[in-house]
Amino acid sequence: MTQRRAEGPHRVVQLALLTAIALTIFMAEAQLPPLVPIQGVKLGLANIVTVYAVFVLGPRDALLILSARVFLGAVFSGQMMTLLYSAGGGLLAWAVMAGLNRILTVKQLWLASPLAAVFHNLGQLLVAAGVMKSWAVMAFLPWLLISGVVTGLFTGLCAQFLIARLERISRGKDPGTKED
Amino acid sequence: MSRSAKGIAALLVLLLAGSAAFLLLRPKGEGQVARITLNGKVVQEIDLSRVEQPYTLTLEGPGGFSNTITVEKGRICVSKAGCPDQICVHQGYISDGTTPIVCLPNKLIIEIIGGGSGLDAATG
Repeated sequence: MTQRRAEGPHRVVQLALLTAIALTIFMAEAQLPPLVPIQGVKLGLANIVTVYAVFVLGPRDALLILSARVFLGAVFSGQMMTLLYSAGGGLLAWAVMAGLNRILTVKQLWLASPLAAVFHNLGQLLVAAGVMKSWAVMAFLPWLLISGVVTGLFTGLCAQFLIARLERISRGKDPGTKED
Repeated sequence: MSRSAKGIAALLVLLLAGSAAFLLLRPKGEGQVARITLNGKVVQEIDLSRVEQPYTLTLEGPGGFSNTITVEKGRICVSKAGCPDQICVHQGYISDGTTPIVCLPNKLIIEIIGGGSGLDAATG
């Protein structure tokens, strides 16, 4: 697997660009009305960028993008409390993806995304249980597991198609890059 | 597909099937007791089957605003909330234990728990 990791200023620009894209998607999605009346269920489109970053740039760069997006997302949406939930879910999902990055190839990343989404929802519920000091929120777990698999599959496939397209673009400019 | 990929796919299918089975097969308790929890402490338990006239009660939460709860025979909802997202209000009435009403910013939980139905569930 060739990692298209840039160095120096090029890397900073690449990370900043991906963070900006993720944040834009996040804010756009936040404007949509909820799809189902169950709390915590959403598409999580911004994670297309996270999944892409973990598998193409590596877990370290993905963590930088993720934490910047989560923090700025909470600031821009004006609800700092969401920072706790996003961070809890995001970090757990990131850890799962970093592990899967070792055993799955880039072509299989669409499989990593649903598992990461499930753990994201689990992490979020654990934070909620801690904040509310009650395990009653766990009643949402089966709903959130199902939604995690479905939405994770969706974002994972999006990331998969994205990589295929980007590959075609970069092949035109740089024939040296080849993905396995 | 490699072995690890197959394993993950199997795990996902299992999670999906398990959750769906849990939601579909869980006993539909006749529980009609609404338990209101605020900041981790049970504030009130209301037997919804004994409510004659609908009434409202207002609770001040640690989030710095209040939730107005409407209690009716067999169902309960948050009718007004001072929070910005209004998720608990949009959820509407609940009448069974499927999903509790949770107001995250105000640390309020309304869940319906089995009250006096233990015997029925055991024999039925």
